[in-house]
Amino acid sequence: MQDISKNAAQLYRITYEAYSKFANKISRCSTLEEVGKVSQTHLKYLINFHIIRLTIQQDQKHLFFSLTKDQVDYDFKENSSLLEHEEELYKTEIPTHSRNIPMDWVDRNMNGGQLVEPEMWAWIFSNNGRKVTVTLISDLHKPFKIADLDILKLAIDCFESKFHEIYLSHLLDNKNKSLTEALSVIQSQNKEIQDIVKNQKQIITDRTKEILEKNQKLLHISALNSHNVREPLSRIQGLIELIPYCSDKDVREELIPKIKISAVEMDEVLQEVITMATQELDNLKVKNI
Amino acid sequence: MNSVILIDDQPITNFITRKLLELQGVQITISEFTNPVLALQSVLAQREQDNMIILDLNMPEMSGWDFLDKLVHHDFAPNIVILTSSTSGIDRETAKQYPFVRDYIIKPLNKDKISELCAKHCR
Repeated sequence: MQDISKNAAQLYRITYEAYSKFANKISRCSTLEEVGKVSQTHLKYLINFHIIRLTIQQDQKHLFFSLTKDQVDYDFKENSSLLEHEEELYKTEIPTHSRNIPMDWVDRNMNGGQLVEPEMWAWIFSNNGRKVTVTLISDLHKPFKIADLDILKLAIDCFESKFHEIYLSHLLDNKNKSLTEALSVIQSQNKEIQDIVKNQKQIITDRTKEILEKNQKLLHISALNSHNVREPLSRIQGLIELIPYCSDKDVREELIPKIKISAVEMDEVLQEVITMATQELDNLKVKNI
Repeated sequence: MNSVILIDDQPITNFITRKLLELQGVQITISEFTNPVLALQSVLAQREQDNMIILDLNMPEMSGWDFLDKLVHHDFAPNIVILTSSTSGIDRETAKQYPFVRDYIIKPLNKDKISELCAKHCR
């Protein structure tokens, strides 16, 4: 049987199969957790690595994603910071390949002591204007070769677009959330306004009722006043009515004294009413000021 | 009609009403009260249904309204004519609440008003 590593066409086909399977599965993911699981299962068929770490620049922030055989880490918030060589990469945009490895970081991801002659590869790519750094740790057991760079780039494209999609959907979710909150604030404020309007209506109704009642009372008071004045006047009128039917003697001795009494009484009542009316007018004037 | 009872705290008013009734040719007994409390006692003692009571509203001892309420309380409904110098619409409306108030006349009483009253009620 022919050594498969010598058959470039077949190798290419197998790699292509593996890649399309990986790309397909990634495209169906909707969370970073799912992306992590798919990469853990499928990325090892495309390239050799001990650790792959991605940082993606996103609106002054960085998204971190790192993958080992056993572990997936990702951080969308600003809890992690860039490694020294990554900061260099963003500044200079020059890829590196060295044996000078930040072992602190390696040890946080795996047991660094297992590595045999480890090497660190680091690149910066630009996808649709978004910058992505890739750091890969390989060693003698899992060697990385320049020829693998094409397939790595394809995989990074795939990651980057998915991460961007997830990031945008996060933003959208947050915006929706704030819109929902704003809506609920508006609704509660509307309710408050309606309550105030209702309250105002009630106050207006009450005040109108009060004014109507006061008017009614004032009318009654004025009627009482006129009644008090009209009482002696009506007597005088009644007595005058009788004059044509009485003898002169009766008029002189009975009607005229009664008319006099009633006239005096009417004068008293009138003075009283005038005094009261003047006082009420004065009170009204004070209130108006 | 057996008799006419005049209730007004002003004796001059009762005098005028009596004179006008006499001029109208009314011959039945006319009695006068200037104190409505005494008038009520007398009216309730007699309980004569066929009397006519000419009642003032504004009186110090007992208002015309109280007088009417007492009659209702004692379940007695004689013929009442209110004779008042009040021009208040409220008073006129209140009077309508008593079905036995037959008429409501605003002072001054004169020959025309008394003859109309007699035409309506003195039969």
